[in-house]
Amino acid sequence: MTGFTHQIKRDLAIAWASRMDIGVMLLFFVIIVTMFPLAIGPHPEILRPLAVPLLWIAAFLSILAGFDRLFAADLRDGWLDQVALSKLPLFAYVIAKAVAHWVVTGLPVLVMVPVIGVLLQIEVPQLPAICLALAIGTAALTLLGVIGASLAVGARHGGGLMALLVLPLAVPVLIFGVLASQPEAGMILSPHLKLLGAMMAVLLAIAPVVAAAALGEADDDGGA
Amino acid sequence: MNSTAKAPRKDAAVKMADTAPLLALEEVAIMRGHRVIQHAISHEMTSGQMTLLTGPNGSGKSSLLRAIAGRLIAAGGQISCAVPMVYVGHQDGIAGALSGRQNLASWAGVNGVETAAPPKNTQIDTQIDTQIDSAITALEADSFADLPTRLLSRGQRRRFALARLYLSPANALWLLDEPSVGLDFETAQRLDGLLSAHLDRGGMVMAATHLPLAPRARPKVLALGQINDPMPARAASPDQPETGK
Repeated sequence: MTGFTHQIKRDLAIAWASRMDIGVMLLFFVIIVTMFPLAIGPHPEILRPLAVPLLWIAAFLSILAGFDRLFAADLRDGWLDQVALSKLPLFAYVIAKAVAHWVVTGLPVLVMVPVIGVLLQIEVPQLPAICLALAIGTAALTLLGVIGASLAVGARHGGGLMALLVLPLAVPVLIFGVLASQPEAGMILSPHLKLLGAMMAVLLAIAPVVAAAALGEADDDGGA
Repeated sequence: MNSTAKAPRKDAAVKMADTAPLLALEEVAIMRGHRVIQHAISHEMTSGQMTLLTGPNGSGKSSLLRAIAGRLIAAGGQISCAVPMVYVGHQDGIAGALSGRQNLASWAGVNGVETAAPPKNTQIDTQIDTQIDSAITALEADSFADLPTRLLSRGQRRRFALARLYLSPANALWLLDEPSVGLDFETAQRLDGLLSAHLDRGGMVMAATHLPLAPRARPKVLALGQINDPMPARAASPDQPETGK
């Protein structure tokens, strides 16, 4: 195993040790989504056009909820210092963090989509397109969140600052994600999906470098 | 995996040891916030040497160690280090949710701890596991090595931070920030022995401490004074002689 996979393994082990947090996050996601049919009432003709946007907003909010802890814990317990001195480059560390975070937050949301789709009157043939778009969109959001979390890591109220930084930047992902989730019949690889993929690819190139630069200078004032 | 590439370099380092310092600090200045804490630390170290950083609280011992480790940007001067570093700071670098053994394994993993084993993944991993086992045994941490570290005492967690030293490369510079704080008497003595052994095999140690550490290794002392000058940045300029305080 390389240092990269060891870092992922470490994060997954930490997440598993506090798996209640993942459960809470998922429950939060489910509750947000179920609020809407309850508030709007059982009118399929109103629910159906709202279903996909609701799904996306709920997914975004539940993924963002865990971001403030992404680097803060590593900074607080000194792990970041150890990584900075190790053979694992900081950008690889950042990608490893993003992968682990996506597995812990994005993947469970994807798994829940078919279940929640029923509540929102989403029809089964629509599900593959939605899941594919959500997979790419949540990955892109994770990379955006990595940038935000690395910039806000030393800040006192990092969580709120991070949401302010990330959510405006996430708007294009949201727009194209929602469009890609509702492709014309029989066309899963829509242009919107390709644009979404392009955005993720650009973020994949930028985010690790930006975050590594931010973390390289992060100086923990609490330590001295 | 780098064993072949590393060997000649190590020989060169041993040959150079008499002439070139492996760690060189030139006029290093340390700032915290907008305050200059130290404005001209110069120091050199070479293979087999140990330096104790002493000085009152707030004199910049921890900051200097962090600057050498590259985790704090020195406000001035040059720091050059030719060997790998292992840093044990105030924070143990240990995740409370994981066991001590898991913490050590991930540390060894991201550091790519080198072994003499052939580059076959399974064998390297098992060899690292045996190294970790022996480090844990050496620090008498077997009985609590598989508990989540958040359940442990400060001294017990500290042992896992120090266990990294057993996995360190032989030529590494150890940067230790108050390494013996929280340790019981026996573990502190074991630490002294570990430091001496590391110096004997050609490693280097720089430790910030208020307690005597490895006295038999006869460490050099680098005493950092408290700077009370409110504008010390000017005192650092060469044309203006320092006038005490």
